[in-house]
Amino acid sequence: MGVDIQSLVDGLMTALQPTNLLWLAFGGFLGTVVGMLPGLGPATAVAVLIPITFGMDPTTALIMMVAIYSGAMYGGSRSSILLNTPGDGSAIAATFDGYPMAKKGQAGQALAMSAIASLIGGLIAVVGFVLLAAPLADFALKFGPAEYFLLMLFTLSAIVSLSMGNMTKGFISMSVGLLLSTVGIDLQSGVYRFTFGLPQLSEGIDFLVVIIGIYAVGEVLYNYLSIDKPLGKKKRVGEKWITKEQWKRSKWPMIRSGPLGFLIGVLPGAGGSIASMLSYTTERQLSKRSDQFGKGAIEGVAAPESANNAASVGAMIPLLTMGIPGSGTTAVMLGAVIMLGVKPGPLLFENDPNMVWSLVNSMFIGNILLVMINILLVGLFVKILDTPPKVLYPLILVLAFIGTFTLNYSIVDFYLLMIFGVIGLFMKMLKFPIAPLILALIVGGDMEQNFRKSLVASDGGLDIFFASPICIALIGLTILSVCYPLIVNGIKRKKMRTQHKEWDM
Amino acid sequence: MKKFLLAASLLLTLTACTSPNAGGSSFPVKNIEFVAPASPGGGWDTTARAMQKTLDDEGIVKKPINIVNKPGGSGEVGWKYLKNKDAHTLAVNSSLLITNNLLGQSDLTYDDFTPIAILATEWEAVVVPKDSDIEKAEDLMTKLKKDPKSLKLGVAPGLGNDDHLSFVQAAKTYGVEVPKLDFLVYESGGDVATALLGNHIDAATMSVSEAKEQYKAGKVKILAVSSKERLEGLEKVPTWKEEGVDMSFPHWRGIMGPPDMSEEEIAFWDEKISEMVKTEAWKEILQNNEWEAYYKNSSETKKFLQEQNEMYKDLLNDSGLTE
Repeated sequence: MGVDIQSLVDGLMTALQPTNLLWLAFGGFLGTVVGMLPGLGPATAVAVLIPITFGMDPTTALIMMVAIYSGAMYGGSRSSILLNTPGDGSAIAATFDGYPMAKKGQAGQALAMSAIASLIGGLIAVVGFVLLAAPLADFALKFGPAEYFLLMLFTLSAIVSLSMGNMTKGFISMSVGLLLSTVGIDLQSGVYRFTFGLPQLSEGIDFLVVIIGIYAVGEVLYNYLSIDKPLGKKKRVGEKWITKEQWKRSKWPMIRSGPLGFLIGVLPGAGGSIASMLSYTTERQLSKRSDQFGKGAIEGVAAPESANNAASVGAMIPLLTMGIPGSGTTAVMLGAVIMLGVKPGPLLFENDPNMVWSLVNSMFIGNILLVMINILLVGLFVKILDTPPKVLYPLILVLAFIGTFTLNYSIVDFYLLMIFGVIGLFMKMLKFPIAPLILALIVGGDMEQNFRKSLVASDGGLDIFFASPICIALIGLTILSVCYPLIVNGIKRKKMRTQHKEWDM
Repeated sequence: MKKFLLAASLLLTLTACTSPNAGGSSFPVKNIEFVAPASPGGGWDTTARAMQKTLDDEGIVKKPINIVNKPGGSGEVGWKYLKNKDAHTLAVNSSLLITNNLLGQSDLTYDDFTPIAILATEWEAVVVPKDSDIEKAEDLMTKLKKDPKSLKLGVAPGLGNDDHLSFVQAAKTYGVEVPKLDFLVYESGGDVATALLGNHIDAATMSVSEAKEQYKAGKVKILAVSSKERLEGLEKVPTWKEEGVDMSFPHWRGIMGPPDMSEEEIAFWDEKISEMVKTEAWKEILQNNEWEAYYKNSSETKKFLQEQNEMYKDLLNDSGLTE
């Protein structure tokens, strides 16, 4: 494996062939549009568009699919920022500061920053891919069930620590998510849990249904409460380009989040949701302006956007070096390329280097094309904000139902969608944070299964959770993420007290 | 524009009138639907799409064929859907149709439907990491016989499937205490392969296609395969038969129709599918997916399913999953 300059250049030439460039741009555009729709994340986008690739040359087909994948990652955050309705788990973090920015009339800047951050994260990750694919694949193999369990525990602790000042509500929200994740067949024993005899529930509650329900439907219901009130003032779209100061604030968060997201993306199964969430919490804890996070801080958009795009590049590593799909999206891609006669596996780099390197180059070029497409479209996207609510909200509802149906083609999901819409409404009214619930639902099932697999592997001993350096590091990070907010608060309080004293004197 | 539309509609009516009724039979009268009882991407979905592609591309079936994905309940959602349809709908199946019922997870079983065909099969493999000190299937089984918990075994995506039961059958012959075995259940074959490459499990049972690429790259050792003869590309790997276990264990996929199909409708599919499995296009798809031809027509399928039902009943008892 390693970097073979000749193959790299050959790959670049293949990627630059007009047909491939055309499909790359077309796939990126389609992906962006599909990814914007609530519930239609990268996996669905690729699955729906697979028939287009039938009859294509395998390399072109793979390039097209990667373009759709990255396009959907870009698109997912568009609706997070504009409508507070993420298209996918990895776009949730973009709602934290993106939506408040849009509310403050900085939608254009948030969109531009998210595109730039995606580009930077993507480029860092592609460079990482070229230099580190082989050693990273080995690193990913070191993650056994115990390491996965601890990584997920760390993610959850980081999310709860996000709801600073409201830890209790954050904790309740997370617990509900964990409870929901127990629905469905239990892999280790084959027992059906909480399925009420409905076979549609046997594979658990799809977290995308919950995302669409709580965010999209919940948001519509919440806004319905005030739909007849005259609009206070027309929302301003504001600047379409970021300011120098915003760039300065976001530069380092973006550069730090790229490698972080890339590393997490390489781990099979972890993916963009965990990557974007961890980069957001990290930046918030590092920032001097941590009190502005969640109220429209531009770094809060830049960091997770850089991380999730980097993760989507990282996820290609297990697929291409080992033939093992690291995420739902890459699993769909694997199925599609096998149909075309490609055999992804450890030998792909040796047997078909041109394909791999054209793909890597396409990821590079694709990111540049996508950022151009997205920045050109900023003006169009922000028009969504000008749409009168009486038109916009019914439209979102329609899209929510369509998106839900494409997930499992199941009517049962419609009922779930409505139930979670109402839950979302109450959560918004009672000011419960939503992200802990969703994230707990996304990682909860895997977390439990990995915990139990660890115990089977260790014959019931808990020592397996301290057995490797990775485990110890993750435990350390978890403790740090729980204690850090307490320490910071402690210091602040002390400072305040000293200030008060000075005041008194 | 108007003229064009007129011409187009005329053309449509004409073709509709002249389309021949193959062999004088009136079936099928409308669009055909294949149910894949799973999400896009897996084996069932691939089977349905491969059939759709071949039947359509080769012009074997003239009516349009649509694929419907109905995932959930290890196939149950899709099969329930099929039960209330007419003969224009068929669904892909596998041994899960039988084992779901035997495990008490579903009321539906093979005799609730009309058997149409068995299409293709994969074979099962037992795999260990490349640096494992286990060299032969016998070594593995001797260890497990001494202490069934001494090795951690990987399987996906659930106990009671063919990956699991083929291992159970082999282990039983060696006198291993099967219900005491430690299985780590992973979500997909890919996850099992990752765990094996990272030495987080000691051995795994998976389909040959999932193991073959890793084997060719020298990353894993395959101890035995469940086919009757040695497999192409795996000439050095013995079959279970050579290892002293009298079994061949296919991981087959087939297709079935709703209950109470007429003789004429069954005959239609027997003719079309037997034609399909002979085409080059179908053979190429089998090869790309590492599947092997395993065609059985409707009457052979009926008998085969009955035999399979008996076999799985015994195996599930032995595995300790049912009593």
